[in-house]
Amino acid sequence: MIWLWIMNIILVVSAVLLIGLLKGVLGAAKSITPTIDAIAGVAGAISKDLDAVVVLLTTQNYISQIVGSVANYGGSLDVALPDA
Amino acid sequence: MSLALAVMILLITAIIAALALFLCATIVQLVKINQGLAVVIGGVGEIVQKTAPVNGVLDAINGNLVAGRNLLENLFIKKAGDDAGGLVESLFPGEGAKFLQRVGRRGPVVNTGIVYTRGTVILASLGRGAPIGAAHAKGPAVRDPKYATTAAAMLYPRPGGDPRARPKSPVVGSNSPRQYEASATPGVRPRNRDGSEAPPPSEAPDMPTGRVEIRQPEPAAAPPPSSGGGDAPPAPGRLNVKGARPWER
Repeated sequence: MIWLWIMNIILVVSAVLLIGLLKGVLGAAKSITPTIDAIAGVAGAISKDLDAVVVLLTTQNYISQIVGSVANYGGSLDVALPDA
Repeated sequence: MSLALAVMILLITAIIAALALFLCATIVQLVKINQGLAVVIGGVGEIVQKTAPVNGVLDAINGNLVAGRNLLENLFIKKAGDDAGGLVESLFPGEGAKFLQRVGRRGPVVNTGIVYTRGTVILASLGRGAPIGAAHAKGPAVRDPKYATTAAAMLYPRPGGDPRARPKSPVVGSNSPRQYEASATPGVRPRNRDGSEAPPPSEAPDMPTGRVEIRQPEPAAAPPPSSGGGDAPPAPGRLNVKGARPWER
């Protein structure tokens, strides 16, 4: 009989520990959810900001034209200025 | 059944119930996390898709800029020669050595901006006669750096000359000074240019009034009869029409 009571005490302690651990796991899981929502919002904003990346193609075209103009200007300078 | 056994069964049941409750709640939270991550993965996929061409575009832009930079640097080295590093150093302090290292040249970097004014070397290369190159670069400065601007101004004077020697702008308006003495009779000068009194006009000056008087032409005399009896050719008239106008008769 005494062993039964001892087992009961052990079960009570185990139940308290188990409930504490499970409560910690649940709290951690609950804390992840708002973080995920925040990351989703940021990802959407980044994706929206990246719509302007297409303008880089225009920039590339402009820079190509500018470099061509600079090359022509350098050619003119090469003719106009004497060498060192 | 003893009391101890009943308590044990009750405790075991409570433990199992607590396990089930917390595990179910944890499962619910994990499902929410899964759904949130699915949304995030969609956004990240969009980001990856939109940034995919950036590398190629930036590489192309970088390639164009590097080609332009190499072109200009080679032209600069070709035109400036050994002074290229010094010119870069004068414009961008600390960059002359890097420039020489980048273009694969060696040698000391002499800051030409200390010795000469900015742009003097360029003007000299254009043939404007700046007195550079008269001494070695390691020697004393050809120009005094303190009065370099004065020296440059003496070399290249102002196109308009000294502004103090320029005539002032005339004063117009109600405050303008009276430079001429008013005369009683229009067209008659009250005094001569040397300041002496001018003689009074003896008669009315022959001035054009602007009127045009038309007189009737007088009847021309009959031409004398020619001795030959025939029609002699008329004398050649004047080619201009001076005197034919009414106001010139």
